[in-house]
Amino acid sequence: MSDEIKVDVKMDLKGLACPLPVVKVSQQVKKMKVGEVLEAETTDPGAHADFPAWAKSSGNEIVKTVKEEKSAKFYIKKLK
Amino acid sequence: MEKEKLRELKKLIASRLTRPMRYYLDTCTRCGLCYDSCHAYYGIPKKEYSPVGRAEVVRRAVKKHFRPSGRLFPYWGDATALDERVMDEMKEAAFSCTGCRRCMMYCPFGIDMPYILGIAKVLLIGYGNAPEELVMLADAAVEKGRSIDEFKEGFRSVIGDMELEVQKRLGLPSADDLIPMEKKNADVLFVGLSGAHSIIHPAVIFNAAKENWTLSFFEAVNFGMFAGDPEKMQFIADRVVNEAKALGVKEVVIVECGTAYRIPKFLLGPLPFKVTSIAEKIHQYLAEGRIRVKEGAIAEPLTYHDPCQLGRNAGVFEEPREILGRLAADYREMSPTREYNWCCGGGGGLVALDNEEFRIKTGKAKKDQIDATGAKIVVSACENCILQLNTIKDGYGLDVEVKSLSELVAENLVV
Repeated sequence: MSDEIKVDVKMDLKGLACPLPVVKVSQQVKKMKVGEVLEAETTDPGAHADFPAWAKSSGNEIVKTVKEEKSAKFYIKKLK
Repeated sequence: MEKEKLRELKKLIASRLTRPMRYYLDTCTRCGLCYDSCHAYYGIPKKEYSPVGRAEVVRRAVKKHFRPSGRLFPYWGDATALDERVMDEMKEAAFSCTGCRRCMMYCPFGIDMPYILGIAKVLLIGYGNAPEELVMLADAAVEKGRSIDEFKEGFRSVIGDMELEVQKRLGLPSADDLIPMEKKNADVLFVGLSGAHSIIHPAVIFNAAKENWTLSFFEAVNFGMFAGDPEKMQFIADRVVNEAKALGVKEVVIVECGTAYRIPKFLLGPLPFKVTSIAEKIHQYLAEGRIRVKEGAIAEPLTYHDPCQLGRNAGVFEEPREILGRLAADYREMSPTREYNWCCGGGGGLVALDNEEFRIKTGKAKKDQIDATGAKIVVSACENCILQLNTIKDGYGLDVEVKSLSELVAENLVV
C-alpha cells in the first residue's frame, strides 16, 4: 500500500481509546505540510466513521483505507 | 479587545444571566469551604484551581460589565473588564474544572460552580479561544450527524469482526446478527463509543440476555457539551434521539460514559423512549435472571470508582455496587464515597486535552483513595474515568488493574 501512496508520516494508534485516535491524528496533521500524507493505523472500529467525519469537517482527505486483520490503515492527505 | 468583540462577548454573558446564574453569582460569600472539596486544589493547592477561585474570574467580569457599582467603582470587589489576560484566565478556570460538582456538596448555598463556568466556556467560543481539540471533536461529531449515510458502510465493514468476537465469547454456532444495526422496532438502541471494547462487552451481555437490541451508528460522547457549546451539544444529542425515533425503539441504553447518559436523561426534556445506563441495564438483567454471573469469582480486593456524572450528578449508586457485590469476594468501598466520592480528574473532556501532567497532579486525591483501600482491581462505569484512572495508575506506579463494569460482567458471565 505504502508503495502506491507516498507516506510522509506514520502513526501507530492501535489500542488507543476514544477520543484519542482522532485527537492524535488532528494534532499530527496540523504539523504537516499541505499535500503530505499521514498513515494512521488504528484498532478502533469507530474510526471508520469518525476519521472520514473529521476529515470532512476539517477539510482534509482520506485517500485510501486498508483493512487489515486486526486493524485498519487510513491514508490522510492534508489539503489545507 | 476590539469594541465590537467586547459587545459580542457581553451579549453572550447576558444570554447566560438566568435567575439561577444570578443567584449563584450573587450568593457566594467567598467563605472558601469549597477549596478542600476540589480534587484539582488537593493536587495543586493554588487559588486559581479552587472552585471559588475559578468562579471569581467570571464573577469579576460580570460585575464590571453588568453592575453599576462595577462600572463606576471597579476597585470595589475587583471588577475586571474582559481583555486578553482575562480570557486566558477564563480558559484556565473552565478547563481545569471537570464539572464533577463535588464542591456543590460542600457549599453552604449549593452553588453550582460548573454552571457559572458555563459563562467562561461560551465566552471562549465567542472569543475563538476554546480548546481546539474539543472544538475539533465537536465539529467532527456534527459532521457525522449531517453526513451519516456516507459513513455507514465503513462502520458496517468492521461490525463482522466484532460479531466473531462475541460469538467466540458466548460459544455460539453462528456470528450472524449478533450486533444488529438499523433494526426497526428493536426494544433497545445501544449507543456505544468508538472503541471495540465499548461495543463487544455490551454485545456479549445483550446476546446473553436475549435482548431485542440494535447498535447506534453514533458515539455516545458529546464533545459539544464538553466544549460548552449549547448548539453543538443539542445537535450531537439529537443525532441519537432522531435515530431512536426513526427506529421506534422503547429504550436507549447508554454505554459507560457519564456525560453521555446525563444529557438525554436530564437535559433534553421529555423523550418518547426510556434512557438507561448500561450499568442499570446489567443490574436489571441480573435481577430478572436473564443473565447470570459467577458469584464471588473475583478473589482479589476490588473497589469501585463512582463516575461523577453517573453517581453524584445522576444518582446511579446502587446498581454498580449490587453487580460488583455478586462478582467480588472482597469488595472494598472507597472513603469518602458515593456523592462525596473524589473526582478522578478526567471528566469534562479533560482527557482529550494535552494535559497529562496536570491530570496526574490533580488525580492525587483519587490515587490516595485507591491506595487506602488496598484494592488490586479498580472498576468504573465511565470511559473518561477509566482513561484517567489508567493515567493515575501509570503516573504514580499503582499496582492495580483498571476495568470497566461491563468488561468485568462480560468476562464472568455464566454461559
